[in-house]
Amino acid sequence: MRKDVYSSVKIIFRIFILRSKGSIGVINELLLQFAQYLEAQEYSQMLVSGYYSWNWLEATHVLTLMISIGSLFIIDFRMLGWVLPGVSATTIADRLHKPMIIGFSIMFITGILLVYAKPVENVQSLWFRIKMILLVLAFINAWVFNSRMRAADGTWDSARVAPKPLRTGAIISLFLWCGVVAMGRFIPYDWVDCPKVSNTALLWASGCVEQLNAL
Amino acid sequence: MLGNFLNNYKSVVGLGFVVLAVALVEFFEVRAAVYPGLLPFFEWLKYSSWIGYLGITYGSVYATVQAVHLVSMAIIGGTVLVADLRLLGILLKDIPSETITKGTHQCFKYSLSAAIATGIFCAAGVADKVYYMPVFWIKMLALLAGSCFMFFIKQPLLNSRPHKEIGPWMLRMLAVASISIWFTVAATGRWIGFS
Repeated sequence: MRKDVYSSVKIIFRIFILRSKGSIGVINELLLQFAQYLEAQEYSQMLVSGYYSWNWLEATHVLTLMISIGSLFIIDFRMLGWVLPGVSATTIADRLHKPMIIGFSIMFITGILLVYAKPVENVQSLWFRIKMILLVLAFINAWVFNSRMRAADGTWDSARVAPKPLRTGAIISLFLWCGVVAMGRFIPYDWVDCPKVSNTALLWASGCVEQLNAL
Repeated sequence: MLGNFLNNYKSVVGLGFVVLAVALVEFFEVRAAVYPGLLPFFEWLKYSSWIGYLGITYGSVYATVQAVHLVSMAIIGGTVLVADLRLLGILLKDIPSETITKGTHQCFKYSLSAAIATGIFCAAGVADKVYYMPVFWIKMLALLAGSCFMFFIKQPLLNSRPHKEIGPWMLRMLAVASISIWFTVAATGRWIGFS
């Protein structure tokens, strides 16, 4: 009886994985087609081929880290009591919110342009995909963190460290954003580029459609 | 009278001597004479030191250290911007500037130490290339100028008395100089990557 249940669960799990792989396989193909369409556009080629356009775009994206992630880390460090412990935590979060949003807006715009300049390379980059997942998780964490901060009654404001839920949110935020920066740093490296990889799981995760079809 | 002057304006006199020393170094072409002698050190750093070996052999380690360098740079930028924008009266205006500058300085020191340590590792991996890059030497000069400015001029002045006694234009000049220097360090660092 237990063996039958176990076998059934295994079969159902395999079907689920295959259907997911099939769905994600379709998504990979659609993404590649869209990326190839973008790459063929004149402005995309202008952005990547212009010496100053690409360099200024990338430099702006990286240097704006200081405004966006710099402000964010100050807020997180305050929650953990590592910086400005004598200053109200909600005041720090409130005052640094605007420069942080300005920084992230610039990074968002330059990031989109960077992807537009090299769409196929980015869409088929494992590091870029992980970066996008971490970005989504980081924004969800930020939304939860903000909700919790607003819901908290403020009695902890002058305390050296924030309550545990906010501290947890701050630590998760630090890890996620460090991960985003690290994945962004890994994108230019070609260790797991499609032509160099033979592992099926990696090819599937990176969206290497042509190599998967050739297997 | 001279003793009083030297005592009251130690930093200014010290800075004057530093500027004079730099001018003499350039005038007598000491830099041009020392530069070729640094090449063996850079070659040793890349090919014989363990950090150079790690950087060349394990690309993933090198990339991870670069990421840590970027995060450190982001934290430096955050602390500098928060402190200097407060001095300029743009941000956190309802909090005393003494609190902000003192409170962010510790974090700045740790992140600068991390940036320098990771920067040495990153430079070691490509030491034979950066030696010949003018932008690398500009970054090193800017880093030295920024560190000296921060530790020997800005912080001592800000810690010496209440900021209301220092004068608003002096505070603004300190803030603008600080932002300019650290932005130069970051921008030249980025340009090394393009060279």
